[in-house]
Amino acid sequence: MTLLSVQNLRVTFDTETGPVQAVRGVSFSLGRERLGIVGESGSGKTMTGRSVLRLIRPPGRIEADSMVFDGQDLIGLPEPQMRALRGRRIAMVMQDPKFSLNPVMKVGFQLTEGLRQRDGLSAKDARVKALAALQAVQIRDPERVFHAWPHELSGGMGQRVMIAMMLIPEPDLLIADEPTSALDVTVQAEVLSILDNLVKTRGMGLIFISHDLRLVSRFCDRVLVMYKGRIVEELPARDLMQAQHPYTQGLLNCLPRIGGPRTPLPALDRSQAWAQE
Amino acid sequence: MIEIDTLSVTFNAAGRLVRAVENVSLTVGAQESFGLVGESGSGKSTILRAICGLAPISGGAIRIDGKPVAPQTRAFARQVQMVFQDPYASLHPRHTIDRVLSEPLTIHGLKTTEGRIEQALTDVGLPTSFRFRFPHQLSGGQRQRVAIARALMLEPRILLLDEPTSALDASVQAETLNLLTRLRETRGLTFLMVSHDLAVIDHMCDRILVMQHGKAVEALSREALAQGAMTTDYARTLFTASADRLMG
Repeated sequence: MTLLSVQNLRVTFDTETGPVQAVRGVSFSLGRERLGIVGESGSGKTMTGRSVLRLIRPPGRIEADSMVFDGQDLIGLPEPQMRALRGRRIAMVMQDPKFSLNPVMKVGFQLTEGLRQRDGLSAKDARVKALAALQAVQIRDPERVFHAWPHELSGGMGQRVMIAMMLIPEPDLLIADEPTSALDVTVQAEVLSILDNLVKTRGMGLIFISHDLRLVSRFCDRVLVMYKGRIVEELPARDLMQAQHPYTQGLLNCLPRIGGPRTPLPALDRSQAWAQE
Repeated sequence: MIEIDTLSVTFNAAGRLVRAVENVSLTVGAQESFGLVGESGSGKSTILRAICGLAPISGGAIRIDGKPVAPQTRAFARQVQMVFQDPYASLHPRHTIDRVLSEPLTIHGLKTTEGRIEQALTDVGLPTSFRFRFPHQLSGGQRQRVAIARALMLEPRILLLDEPTSALDASVQAETLNLLTRLRETRGLTFLMVSHDLAVIDHMCDRILVMQHGKAVEALSREALAQGAMTTDYARTLFTASADRLMG
């Protein structure tokens, strides 16, 4: 079943020197699966993720032939209806908990804000739900975290709080933008397995945006590789090592490996025709 | 060349003592490349900062060439230089690249010539036309090259590298690591490198020290790491969680 289908998505920024296209004609569809979007900085992967929620501020413009989520075309949808989808049906986990949690609000207040405002729950009921959500992301002492300020949490804890916050309304689609790149490898593995479990048990669709090919290959079902605002290759994650496109191969080969040779790492060759405008 | 003997670093945070580094000893030979690896908060960067006098040493000693270090002196700066993690934060935003690179020469009373700055840029693979640009006109990888060029201006023998590539994309990381390897070979530099990425450390370093909670957990040779022959549980956890092991 297709949950989201995007046709010919374009994101344009009007600048003083003329329009700049950050995303140039991206099409993909997503079922209840884990889709990875990989690319370097500036490849348009984050912009693609944000476009689905229409979270691009002017002067940025989103255009697409269609962007259908569960039967509704998000492109023509009026803002009030779009607001009803955000958070409740489609949620997004941002990259860095340091910048995405409100520093002057206690964690518990932020967690329950949506429940109280949107769902009209009493403070007591919201609290019970929030504590359960913190437990679901394997926070050992939910009570303490509930009453903590964001600066009192470590990066891994902060990231879990953000995931918990996004999962409270049980969305159908979760967009995770580099959810683990601010974390240590051991914590990263934990957060990924939490996400993985949630996707499996709740049957969510997941868009996992990352610059780390190796992570995506292990964690996702399907991978889109983006370069300069275009999708250069789409392939099942397990076949990533057999990627055909020279850009994907280049991205894979430039990573050092434990026990690998000491020869210079191959640099990415951007001189080919595919890299030109 | 570098000897660190039972080093302890203790911070006093609002009356509470934080032992960031506890009794860590290591030695780095001349022209060797030594890696420190561990999670955030393991004390690996603090060791580098202690060498430079940027962290309070509460016990133990640091010696270079058998002599106790005298950080923040000119002689020390000519011998040891550091490259920091975040190239967006470590260059003065309102100084041109020319000024960034000539400042160490001016401080040390050396002649700043056009040729010397241009040579420094060429050595790190940047075009000489970058001389009068500002940091914000450069990409992350280019900035890190400028930071490396600045560290090399006084021709030190030791480079302390604090996560030099963790803020960079994979492809730019490869180019930066290649540059560092080439500079080490051509100039006979000694590296003490910190990273949380075991694969990067393995690529760059001959010997490795795994750290956790401010303590040394296990010292590994490159061969032992490649074979997965570690004896402590923590080093093994780090090894199995390392991204390139996930490929299967």
